[in-house]
Amino acid sequence: MNIDDLKDTWKNDDTSFKYSPLDAALQRKTSSAISKVRNNMKTEFITTLFSYVILFWFLFSKPKAMLFLNVTCITLCALVILNCFYFFKFYMFYRGANKYDQSVKEGIGKIVYELELNTELYKTYNVCITPLTIIVALGIIWDGQATGYIYKLLTNSISAINMSMIILVMLISFIASYFFIGLHVKRSYQKHLDELKSVLKQITGN
Amino acid sequence: MQVIEEHKGMLFRVCRIYQDDNADRDDLMQEIILQLWLVFESFKGNSKIGTWIYRVALNTAITYFKKQKRRNDTELLTEMAYNLPDHSLHAEKEEQLALFYAALKHLNKIEKALIFLYMESQPYNEIALNLGISEVNVRVRLTRIKNKLKEIIKNISYEHR
Repeated sequence: MNIDDLKDTWKNDDTSFKYSPLDAALQRKTSSAISKVRNNMKTEFITTLFSYVILFWFLFSKPKAMLFLNVTCITLCALVILNCFYFFKFYMFYRGANKYDQSVKEGIGKIVYELELNTELYKTYNVCITPLTIIVALGIIWDGQATGYIYKLLTNSISAINMSMIILVMLISFIASYFFIGLHVKRSYQKHLDELKSVLKQITGN
Repeated sequence: MQVIEEHKGMLFRVCRIYQDDNADRDDLMQEIILQLWLVFESFKGNSKIGTWIYRVALNTAITYFKKQKRRNDTELLTEMAYNLPDHSLHAEKEEQLALFYAALKHLNKIEKALIFLYMESQPYNEIALNLGISEVNVRVRLTRIKNKLKEIIKNISYEHR
């Protein structure tokens, strides 16, 4: 078979084809790698806002000891600043990640770069935020015990065993966060990233 | 929409080479139309509208990931059987085209893009620009792909005898 001879038949191969109008396309969820990441980001942003509403509601729904309230507010403030920083970075990625009109090499290269950068940023963000958020959330839920503990921690000298326990708990929570976030990233983003990397490899011929 | 209407044949052929079954093709077509709509304002008229559409369509097809499998393999096989060319009705060329499409499934995503642009009669320099590789590279790769396709077609024809 001569492939060149097929060109005319190839070009006429659309006779029975019908496509849905634009509004139908706009109603569908997209399935490109970037769109999936963008949708995940949007969901995460909404979830974070929602979790803050819950945290603040728990914090101010009933009177709390002043010491506990101050410590929690300072920690929450740090969390909000960290969240604002990372979500601003994510937003910049979200806005800039529409490069479908470049050449295939440039387009895929840019997507792979952005996706990889964003994945790393996401991991760092979660390792910073998750343990702190869990500690604050647990503190708010069990505020009675937490107040006593914070008071003891700030006014008494801490024994070596207690200090070791605190460091160990912190270490475990960071390792657990790192592990689970790694797992989540691998399941949500890594397969797309790997596939796009292989496409980039195919085009660069390496 | 008028632009899409004018290029619908080309868009259909992109979907056909990148997705195997009809439902996935429809999904990909919707995705391409959506992306064309989303990035239309970035089109500054530096290139021909056709070239721009080729780029958006190919980039979308390459970065598109199927939704979870909705149908089992038996259903897919049944559908493929229905889509096989009817020997009594279709001309020899149509049969060859069906065989050609079957062979394209064995190529990787970039090889598909190259052969697609070649079949669309795009000049080598345009293919090079659209893919972001050199013209020499396009020529070398196309020769290899054509040989590979001939080999695959030979094997498929042999298996179906």
